[in-house]
Amino acid sequence: MRFSAFLFAMVYGTSRPVYFFFVILSIYFFLVPVSESLAADQSYLDALLKSAREQRLSEDRYWDVLLHYRRHGSGRKSLIDDPRFFLAPDGKTDPVAELEATLKSFFQAEQKDGDHPRCRFVARYAWLKEKLGVDELRLPAPACTEYNNAMERVNPHAAALIFPTTLNNSPASMFGHTLIRIDSKNQNELLSYAATYAADATDTNGLLYAFKGIFGYYHGYYTILPYYEKVAEYSNIEHRDIWEYKLDLTEEEVHRMVMHAWELRDIYSDYYFFDENCSFDLLLLLEAARPSLHLSDVFWDNKARFWVIPIDTIRAVEESGLITKETYRPSQSTRIMAIAVRMKKEDWKVALDVVKGKTSPQVITDMEMAPEEKMKVLDLSADLLQYRYSRKEMTKDDYLKRFLPVLTARSTLGKQDADVYAITPPTPPEQGHLSGRLSLGPGYRTDSFFTEIEWRSAYHDVLDYDEGYTEGAQVNFFNLKGRYYFKEDSLKLQQLRFIDIFSLSPRNTFFKPVSWKVNTGFDRELFRDGTEHLVYRINPGGGFSYKNDIFGISYAMFETDLTFSNALKQNYALGFGGEAGFIKKMTDLWKMSLSAEGIFYEAGDEHHKMKASWANSFKVSTNNSILLSLSREKTFDRYQTEGELLWRMYL
Amino acid sequence: MKKLLVVTVACAVVVFAVGPAFAAMGQGRQNTGCGLGALAWQGKADSTLFQAFQATTNGTFGSQTFGITSGTSDCAQPAKFVSNQRTNEFVVANMDNLAKDIARGQGETLEAFADLLQVPAEQRAEFYQKLQTSFAKIFTSQDVVLANVVDNVATVSAKN
Repeated sequence: MRFSAFLFAMVYGTSRPVYFFFVILSIYFFLVPVSESLAADQSYLDALLKSAREQRLSEDRYWDVLLHYRRHGSGRKSLIDDPRFFLAPDGKTDPVAELEATLKSFFQAEQKDGDHPRCRFVARYAWLKEKLGVDELRLPAPACTEYNNAMERVNPHAAALIFPTTLNNSPASMFGHTLIRIDSKNQNELLSYAATYAADATDTNGLLYAFKGIFGYYHGYYTILPYYEKVAEYSNIEHRDIWEYKLDLTEEEVHRMVMHAWELRDIYSDYYFFDENCSFDLLLLLEAARPSLHLSDVFWDNKARFWVIPIDTIRAVEESGLITKETYRPSQSTRIMAIAVRMKKEDWKVALDVVKGKTSPQVITDMEMAPEEKMKVLDLSADLLQYRYSRKEMTKDDYLKRFLPVLTARSTLGKQDADVYAITPPTPPEQGHLSGRLSLGPGYRTDSFFTEIEWRSAYHDVLDYDEGYTEGAQVNFFNLKGRYYFKEDSLKLQQLRFIDIFSLSPRNTFFKPVSWKVNTGFDRELFRDGTEHLVYRINPGGGFSYKNDIFGISYAMFETDLTFSNALKQNYALGFGGEAGFIKKMTDLWKMSLSAEGIFYEAGDEHHKMKASWANSFKVSTNNSILLSLSREKTFDRYQTEGELLWRMYL
Repeated sequence: MKKLLVVTVACAVVVFAVGPAFAAMGQGRQNTGCGLGALAWQGKADSTLFQAFQATTNGTFGSQTFGITSGTSDCAQPAKFVSNQRTNEFVVANMDNLAKDIARGQGETLEAFADLLQVPAEQRAEFYQKLQTSFAKIFTSQDVVLANVVDNVATVSAKN
């Protein structure tokens, strides 16, 4: 174009025929190349479209994977809700139109650096290029600086699945998190990147947060962050141990996965805490790495199970044979205990005095003590300071004033053996019992035998075996109990608990957590007329627990109990009381609990209730156990005794 | 008695449900500082209930979807070193753990730091020891920031 304008100017003013000639020439220069290239573009696009149709690429498994298409009625529909993800107006539901629009978009003129569809949809481009043998020279070559820089930084080589275990004292984090770590070659894993899928939430009100999370009011985004940020968050702030599972993916596959994550950058899908959640959506990334994996289908197609728990996705990945090696990354609180158990108890106080600022670290270095013991005291102090600061139990100023002198003193003492605080990894979570539970067996209540059947959707309770789980952290999610009474020949709903959290976090010299519980749902209870009625119950409580060799975990909690039933006077009863007991693993195959509870209902239907329970769980195998329980209860001045023997299967 | 109970329960409900609303909120990823103690809580609230729900719904606060950098824009940059941006980001984000590892003469954060500085494997032991014995020269005060730390490491490791 510039050349023709130049010619035009040069010949302006010369004789007419010459002028004419040059005008025609310049028009030729002006128009022909453009129309010719347009025509060439069109014919090349047509050829590509034809080839794509012949190969039925829009029906290819990988196209489904890249666009997140799922069967929907007779057609297909993408799980992605952001219109910017689709190049065709009806791309969400029309895979053919989307594929053709994608091909067409590659011919778009160059745009602002990074805006071109080839920069935005890198995985689609790479796949179509390979399938159709696209000649890159015949396409515009847009600049994709940001993408290239990101790829250079992340430098994908290998990948690992990352699973932070239950948040301490927050059993609901069973729906915790999984992420994928992208490793580059010959580099410390802390320098890797982590791909994660999360809800973009701004509410800090727990209930609103949960509501919106459950019903899809948040947008979910894929993110890629430095792995050290996630490690800091889980290890140093939330104090969760992390399991890392190396994946058997080739460099090319990992590269594809990162390209797909890039495509999903800033693209939202509605986030559903139960199914379209972090763990489910990460499976889609793994499928983008290797489309022959069908990891997500199990969860999506099985509508009987409408939730996806992270640990179940780990199991699915393990079953696909993708896991080559597992590593345990203990959290800071686990590491603190690993140091403490290697010290004399009287040295604990020395370390705590340093933490509290009562003893100067310099005093430790001058003390008469073996150098190794001094190192332990200062190592424990440093970690405890970090722990307390992360828990906001001390100000930044106090923290800095003590942290740095502790390290300065420590640096003068030399090095310990690398494995002096070695931690034996516990049973990995995927080797624990499965999270669903079916129980069946006979029982006796007051004067009638019954058969009980119980179904728990998820996840773990204090009498289940703790291998792979956090000891003392109970979450029973949707627990349904039915009974058939022989004497009355009647089938009755005994219990339907929507949620039953019982979180025992033992206190010790270093950690002072609160234990708490909350449960809600229907229970069948004995009334003053001697008959049983269903009540709806909300029962929160809080207290302390401790752990020792004699009683295992012992606890005491205050609680309030609010029940509703039309069999109650004024239709409700509100009481205050408490519960105490202990849970102990007597042998490897026998776990026992003993508890007593008393509640005084002072509002609504005034009465009181006392209950003592004794339960035993015998392990048969990882996924089978036997429960033997006995309880005696006094309510409305009526006594009731109950015994049960249940076979429990985890599935 | 009845009234007292009702009030108690009402208070409990308020504390559980509304309390978290007062919790500190992080908008996006904050620049939490260039020195020690720059722990990023990222708007994590203290209430157990909130944390439980937060873990449950896997929220992030203000997503930065390809946050492959951590940001050191508000920090004075080191002068002496062949300091690359990634090293600076790493030091800013991990300064407390790095200080701890240097004081102990070993650890994962220190290894990652040496990776970033491309310290050859055979010189690592010496490098770690040098940093440990010079700890007080690297972390000179509680107000030490990125630029000081990286420059001090450069000075210390250059000396024989």
